Amino acid sequence: MRDPKANSLAARRFRISRRTFLRGVGVTMALPWLESLPSFAAEPVAKGAAPVLPKRFAALFWGNGVNANHWSAKGTGASMELSKSLGPLEPFKAKMNLIDGLFNRSAVGVGIHPGQTGNLLSGKPLTKGAVLHGGISMDQVLANHIGQDTVQPSMVLGCEQPVTGYHETNFSMAYSSHISWQSADSPVPMEVYPSLAFDSLFENRGSRRNQSILDRVKDDTSSLVRKVSANDKAKLDEYLTSVREVEKRIDRMRAQSDKAADTAREAGKPLFTMKRPDNGLPEDIREHMKLMCDLTALAFQTDKTRVVSLLLCRDLSGLFYPFLGVRKSHHPASHDDLSDDFEKITRYYVGQLAYLAQRLDAMPEGEGTTVLDNSCLLFLSNMWSGNKHDSTRLPLLTVGGLGGSLETGRVLNYLEKGDENRKVCSLYLSLMDRMGVNLPQFGDADARLAGI
Amino acid sequence: MLRNATLLILCLGFGTLSRGAATAAEDPIDRRFTAEVFPFLDAYCLDCHAGKEPEGDFDLSRFTSAAAVSGDHPHWERVLDQLREEQMPPKKAKEKPTAETRRQIVSWIQDIRQRDAKKTAGDPGPVLARRLSNAEYDYTLRDLTGSDLRPTKEFPVDPANQAGFDNSGESLTMSPGLLKKYLQAARSVSENLILTQDGLAFAPHPMMADTDRDKYFVLRIVDFYKRQPTDYADYFEAAWRFQNRAKLGQRHATLSDIAAAAKVSPKYLATIWATLNDPHERVGPIFDLQKMWRTLPTPTAPGSLSPHAACVAMRDFVMTLRTKLVPEVENLTGPGINNGAQAFVLWKDRQMAANRRRYDPSALMIEGTIPAVEPPPVADKKSRKRVHKPRQPDPALAIPADPAERARHEAAYARFASVFPDAFYISERARVFLDTDEDKNNGGRLLSAGFHSMTGYFRDDGPLYDMVLDDAAREELDHLWNEFELVASVPHRMHSSMIWFERTDSSFMIDAQFDFARAEDKDCSSREKIRQLADVYYAKAKTRGASGAALAAIKEHFERVQANVTRVDRMREEAEPKHLRALGDFAGRAFRRPLKESERADLVAFYHTLRKDDGLDHEDAVRDCLVSVLMSPNFLYRVDLAEAGGLPALAGNPSKAPATKMSATMPKGALPLSDYALASRLSYFLWSSMPDAELLARAAAGDLQRPGVLAAQAKRMLQDDRSRAMAVEFGGNWLDFRRFEEHNAVDRERFPMFNDKLRESMFQEPIHFLTDLIRHDRSVLDLLYGDYTFVDPLLAKFYGMAVPPGPDDQWTRVEQVSKVGRGGLLPMSVFLTHNSPGLRTSPVKRGYWVVRQLLGEHIPPPPATVPALPADEAHLGELNLRETLERHRADPSCAACHARFDSMGLVFEGFGPVGEHRDKDLGGKPVDDHAIFPGGSEGSGLAGLKTYLHEHREGDFVDNLSRKLLAYALGRTLQLSDEPGLAEMRRKLAADGFRFGSLVESIVSSPQFLNKRGPDDLATR
Repeated sequence: MRDPKANSLAARRFRISRRTFLRGVGVTMALPWLESLPSFAAEPVAKGAAPVLPKRFAALFWGNGVNANHWSAKGTGASMELSKSLGPLEPFKAKMNLIDGLFNRSAVGVGIHPGQTGNLLSGKPLTKGAVLHGGISMDQVLANHIGQDTVQPSMVLGCEQPVTGYHETNFSMAYSSHISWQSADSPVPMEVYPSLAFDSLFENRGSRRNQSILDRVKDDTSSLVRKVSANDKAKLDEYLTSVREVEKRIDRMRAQSDKAADTAREAGKPLFTMKRPDNGLPEDIREHMKLMCDLTALAFQTDKTRVVSLLLCRDLSGLFYPFLGVRKSHHPASHDDLSDDFEKITRYYVGQLAYLAQRLDAMPEGEGTTVLDNSCLLFLSNMWSGNKHDSTRLPLLTVGGLGGSLETGRVLNYLEKGDENRKVCSLYLSLMDRMGVNLPQFGDADARLAGI
Repeated sequence: MLRNATLLILCLGFGTLSRGAATAAEDPIDRRFTAEVFPFLDAYCLDCHAGKEPEGDFDLSRFTSAAAVSGDHPHWERVLDQLREEQMPPKKAKEKPTAETRRQIVSWIQDIRQRDAKKTAGDPGPVLARRLSNAEYDYTLRDLTGSDLRPTKEFPVDPANQAGFDNSGESLTMSPGLLKKYLQAARSVSENLILTQDGLAFAPHPMMADTDRDKYFVLRIVDFYKRQPTDYADYFEAAWRFQNRAKLGQRHATLSDIAAAAKVSPKYLATIWATLNDPHERVGPIFDLQKMWRTLPTPTAPGSLSPHAACVAMRDFVMTLRTKLVPEVENLTGPGINNGAQAFVLWKDRQMAANRRRYDPSALMIEGTIPAVEPPPVADKKSRKRVHKPRQPDPALAIPADPAERARHEAAYARFASVFPDAFYISERARVFLDTDEDKNNGGRLLSAGFHSMTGYFRDDGPLYDMVLDDAAREELDHLWNEFELVASVPHRMHSSMIWFERTDSSFMIDAQFDFARAEDKDCSSREKIRQLADVYYAKAKTRGASGAALAAIKEHFERVQANVTRVDRMREEAEPKHLRALGDFAGRAFRRPLKESERADLVAFYHTLRKDDGLDHEDAVRDCLVSVLMSPNFLYRVDLAEAGGLPALAGNPSKAPATKMSATMPKGALPLSDYALASRLSYFLWSSMPDAELLARAAAGDLQRPGVLAAQAKRMLQDDRSRAMAVEFGGNWLDFRRFEEHNAVDRERFPMFNDKLRESMFQEPIHFLTDLIRHDRSVLDLLYGDYTFVDPLLAKFYGMAVPPGPDDQWTRVEQVSKVGRGGLLPMSVFLTHNSPGLRTSPVKRGYWVVRQLLGEHIPPPPATVPALPADEAHLGELNLRETLERHRADPSCAACHARFDSMGLVFEGFGPVGEHRDKDLGGKPVDDHAIFPGGSEGSGLAGLKTYLHEHREGDFVDNLSRKLLAYALGRTLQLSDEPGLAEMRRKLAADGFRFGSLVESIVSSPQFLNKRGPDDLATR
């Protein structure tokens, strides 16, 4: 009697078995990273035309600034000279931009820490007290515009749980804890557990959840349709058809991805080479951050999402770095920001970026390019000096060329260009343009960043 | 396949009808068709209206019998109009019928219409099981979730049917694109879901992030506090009223009566009353207060005002004194431990909470002692930090030195402090371990525990709870706090942020022995980890030489953390099955009928599938179940309308009622709606939304169709706030202002007073007018002649009326507004603006609006060749707009129609393009609002139009309104079979003094409304 249900259950079972299979592959493989899924999925539009490959964006944040004595670079491209803290980026000099002198006007002069952080990606003024209010962050703007094409609109990760008390400036500590905001009033809840983030990508979020719901709605409607008169049936059939059509679209998206996976496997190039992280939290923060970077790489590689935000550590972070020989925790260490200890910490974070860049750069995609070349990793902190809590200048760099649309291998300095011409929101407008999202205005900026 | 079958049945049906008609040749209608009508068609019409390309696409050749005419009345209604108005045959035709012949044919058409209308009277007509309209979807979600979320803001606009309404199956379709919008909307509703202790609730905003959950509950708790009566002055006034109840004309009032009238707590009023009249008070603050109390004036007359100022003075006396008596609590500290450590801050919070009804004896000045100028030195300066500045001796707090007397005074102070707490509750707290001066700017930290940076809340409302609240209020407050702790995982989050703080800002937990405790780890608030941390923390504090008090506080802290976490975890466990039950209940409300047991079981099975197969956690699985309910056709569609079309009754028993009341008028082939279907029909008519609990209860009782019950429900529902939807959806579409909020045709540079706010006020005016009319069952003629309207301050100013006092969003009914040229619908600025092209007025559009929307006159569209008028009045040249129009009317092809409405627009010439009063038009020429109305009567301005309408067109207005309302109620275009009912509706309306409710009563008791066409009904045309 209930054929549709039986069918959908069978389909679901098939999906599960496929997933399990793929996961199995993942477990046994400890191979280097391989090509991205889009390079198997993309079919050239016309003969000879290059396939259109997706562009990805990730914002990586760490709190409390850098050791300013060791944050600089000179020259261009491969001959660029990097200062000590930027050392880990040595292999990526031609693919990075050091952008100095940008600032976020709404985060200046409002009080230290949370007020300098919660609007880093939105550029909107923040409200003090019990009711939060700021602005939607640029990663979520991107997710809203381009997220519909992937399993998950965006992935919001963090390595520290949020704190929501009050800072002495009377800003909520939530502003110190979240850089991604889905609206002016709400942060995006972030995933701190690698295992759960993995599941959200490969198990049950996004399209799959909708699919389960639509299956059920389809059954409901079918059984109703069988009972009504011909005229009413026509109306309800319209609904059933719409449900099926939306399901088909989701299926097409999945099928495309499955087909690409098959093609990849036939070519002897399995894609899923990451095993599901263990439940619970990795004991070592290094392992934690590495897994979060791996997940980001995997998400980009398999095109599950094209927008990621990763909070490596919070503003006012309580992380420890015994492996660096530093016994102070992050925030107290930042108060001595010109110390060797804090230089080590700064360099450690640049190392995380370099690790992710290396992962992405090992994935061929397109003609002689890699996933990194089709991405932009925006790496930034909320202040220049942790001792002075100075947010008039942001440590910021990008890695990746966004499919050739972003020139790299440069050192850009905006510090002396005047406040109107050094807004970080202008950079966001320029980056969003390259992701295909053209806004007239964002945050406090209504002009693109000149010379980017 | 099926569609073809339907077609076949329809064709067969027609065949049967024709044959049946042919055999009944005795009918004079048929005889007259053969003798008069057919020859007429042949002679005057078929030359043009036949053949392959009939004139105007209007083919009359197929009408070879009266039965064929019966089969297409809409077509013949046009024939009737054309003949009656002598539009056809055209003037240029060679052959023209005599007036007598024309009259004969007109009368035949009227006769056959009447005969057929009677035959099918009350036919429910084709009403399809359609989706909810956007407006209905929004209102239904509002009533389902308690929040006005309006997700359809981003949906495509619903198309309207022929009658101008967007609530019928004729026009409401579905598409994959729209379905995705529904899915997004359902998802976003599910994000507002709160999984409470007892079931499910909805917040007006997403509840996915911790900060949203905090905000929701904190604001609700603080709001609860602020609602409570805690102003001493109010209690003193109430006590005075009770004292003087006889003189105030309330001899028999009890203390509780007085408390209720004064909106104060009866419980606390009793305390205050007893305190003010306690004869044992001989010394001390209460004694002093009693003196003030006794000097309050005695009322002279029943209406005497209470001595407010004197009561405020009493309150100030209490408050000033009370502030000086608050005991100080010093910080608890420990070596190496941050002063802001949770264990110490919470300990201090508890001390202060416990002191609310105590006083500090050291604040009193013993007579004869000389107070030290310098504050006494603090015992251990290093570890103790004072919160308050040391007290300065205060002569107002002097007590005798004699030991017995001193004890008597101290006891009096203790009683005073106990009756008058230093605070009933604490709604915000800065960091409590700092000097108050140091943190005084940090207000707004609602319910905060007073930590630095850490997440933390502390409940401190003992005096309110013990002295003011009754049992129900206590329960509500407890419930709010429990819900807060549960939904926002308060104890868990406090504990994890404690770990973060102690390892960073405070470095007490910096050593390696604490490395196992990590704030990022969800497991950090497991029983085992809390215990482990308690041990290590305590041991370190002890080793470092913490005091006994500090150690005790640390021990107690971890015990409390353990207890709170356990309690909330247990609450969560116990709540989960309740969420599943609540899901079923929610589905029942969403489906507007009780859920069948099998449906309930299906929903639960779906939940388990999501948990097991899809690996969702409890919250996500519940949310997705909710989304599936909101995506079900049982929610999104008016399935109730499908019911009689073969769908078994929605639930319970099909109605038994029609046998009693409706059988006489039961149309052939119709089936009664079940009670639940009827409930939905009624609520979507009156509220554009789902039935409420009472209506569903009536449906469950099965007596909705009992005479009087449905009418009584309708009456109740019209009085409810939700009938505003009728004003917006019915009124807005009928009068064509529904989308005025998006009206952008005004040149804002030329009319700077027109901004978004004024536009909104203009839009609201008819809604307030209609809502008032509907809710108070006023005469529908008020719409035309009412000498009142509704304004907010902005609109009042715009209209040049005295601005009624009150806030910006307050609407006031104002009378005798004809003095300023307003009153009723006609001169409302929304219509005058909407029907102006921007830089000039448009008598054409305004007049057309009057005859078409208000009077229901059908006027054909203008021919395509009409030249347009200049867009700007200032560019009209020598002529004014009136003269330009006259020139236009000189063209005979325009004159016939324009004569029917231009005059009704010209009378508004005293109103400019945004409905403002004016003497001169934008070209500087004086305005002239005189007009000659159809039929030859004359008049000027609004008053002239009203007189004309009253004398000549009132019937048209009432008829049109009845038709529109019936079409809206039924969700379909009207048909011939509705005519007898409409005639009865108008008759009854006049007999009922034109009350709006009379129209609704007629409709809800009509067979069209109560029934639905049966599955075998072949009357489908």
